[in-house]
Amino acid sequence: MDWSFIAHNAHYFVNAGYMTVFISFFGIVFSIVLGIVCAAIEAANIPIVKQIVRIYIELSRNTPLLVQLYFLYFGLPKLGVSWSAETCAIVGLTFLGGSYMAEALRGGFEAVPQVQRESAQVLGFSPSQMLMHVTVPQALSTAIPGVVANIIFLVKESSVVSAIALADVMYVTKDLMGQTYNTYESLTLLIVTYLIILLPISIIGTVLERRSDYARR
Amino acid sequence: MTDDALATTNSSTQHETLHIRHIVKQYDNADKPVLNDVSFDVPAGQVFVILGPSGSGKSTLLRTIAGLEPIQGGDITIGDEVLRTSGKKKDIEKANAANTSNTSGSKAAKGDTNPVKVGMVFQSYDLFPNKTVLGNIMLAPVLVQKRKKDEVKAEAIKLLERVGLADRQDAWPHELSGGQRQRVAICRALIEHPQIMLFDEVTAALDPEMVREVLDVIVELADSGQTMLIVTHEMAFARAVADHIILLEDGGIVEESDDAEQFFTHPQSERAQQFLNTFTYSRERQ
Repeated sequence: MDWSFIAHNAHYFVNAGYMTVFISFFGIVFSIVLGIVCAAIEAANIPIVKQIVRIYIELSRNTPLLVQLYFLYFGLPKLGVSWSAETCAIVGLTFLGGSYMAEALRGGFEAVPQVQRESAQVLGFSPSQMLMHVTVPQALSTAIPGVVANIIFLVKESSVVSAIALADVMYVTKDLMGQTYNTYESLTLLIVTYLIILLPISIIGTVLERRSDYARR
Repeated sequence: MTDDALATTNSSTQHETLHIRHIVKQYDNADKPVLNDVSFDVPAGQVFVILGPSGSGKSTLLRTIAGLEPIQGGDITIGDEVLRTSGKKKDIEKANAANTSNTSGSKAAKGDTNPVKVGMVFQSYDLFPNKTVLGNIMLAPVLVQKRKKDEVKAEAIKLLERVGLADRQDAWPHELSGGQRQRVAICRALIEHPQIMLFDEVTAALDPEMVREVLDVIVELADSGQTMLIVTHEMAFARAVADHIILLEDGGIVEESDDAEQFFTHPQSERAQQFLNTFTYSRERQ
């Protein structure tokens, strides 16, 4: 292992790490929002809109992120829509993540006992009040392990954005390997960077899981 | 005494007779109705206890009154106001609008702004696990009835004192025993000042030692003049609290009585006798 190589090139990974975190952060936030909307639509059983959500989920889960990104980055300009690589990356991650979040949350919604909705109904809650104060908080609590797994999954998936020339950690690694042939050191730096980003998320996730587990806390 | 707390609670809304008229409830794929032409009136301040074997339709009856089950025939009204009907939602609104204009000065026209006519407590613990005791009780009056938080909180604490749980106001539902949860659930329904309270086998899932603390609360509520419909399997309790007993079987009323004592000691019908016998157990020892 060439330690001086690592010392001299680590700073590339700091900047690239910011890029990975930036893309992932917005991709994840929007994924969760999209996931909640989709899961709520499915839970509320709204006809037609529900079918559209279903089609989106299948389309999103059964196509590779790389293909989705290529479509956004190389395909859309042909239709007259040109987005920056960053926008494409965030939209791509959201398109992919939204369906995964929706599926995790759907499980949470289905786990809310019927009597919870019935008590809210007899108390006079409107459907939206019921969602906001009863169904969604309880569904989230059950869904948190799945959601955390998806968050970690999306950060890892973000490595694909190097394919549309975004300077994330994967991109920098490929660059370094190509220029210096220090393959082993470059890949070690890459793995360490991902661990630095992901381990805290994993730990926070575990704490959150414990905190929000109303039933067994 | 704390009796005042509930007394004022109840007097703040005008109470009228609940009319159950020719209720029919039938599920799409069932060959016979769960409720078949059930009719009775519950005058304000009365406690009606509904008895019957399982599958007789007693829980379904409460659920139709609560609006949790659509009905295929008949209607349910409080005073002149249509609460549930087998017709379209529009018909309810039309009927109620007509009432309002016809009977000027009556309840619907003024004074009655409470959108919640019916409160219900279920058999399974139904507190919201994501809210504290106080949060559970305060949520509906603030959200649904748009009442001021301070006033709601003061009343919530009064109600909790009333059921002996003032010290648990910040507890989470999972920290409470089953009996405590049911008492909180009763407070949560009462704070909306419903004209009718429905109790659906609220002690059926409780350990025997916890049954009494819940029944005591219901008895006190009866004494304060709250109109109630109670489904229960606690015969001694039914006998003690009922102003009127209804025995339901196969979706129809088999026997009813304004005299609980008489119903339990001298039931009129053979079916009622048979039913009551299942609750006593005796054999000749050799």
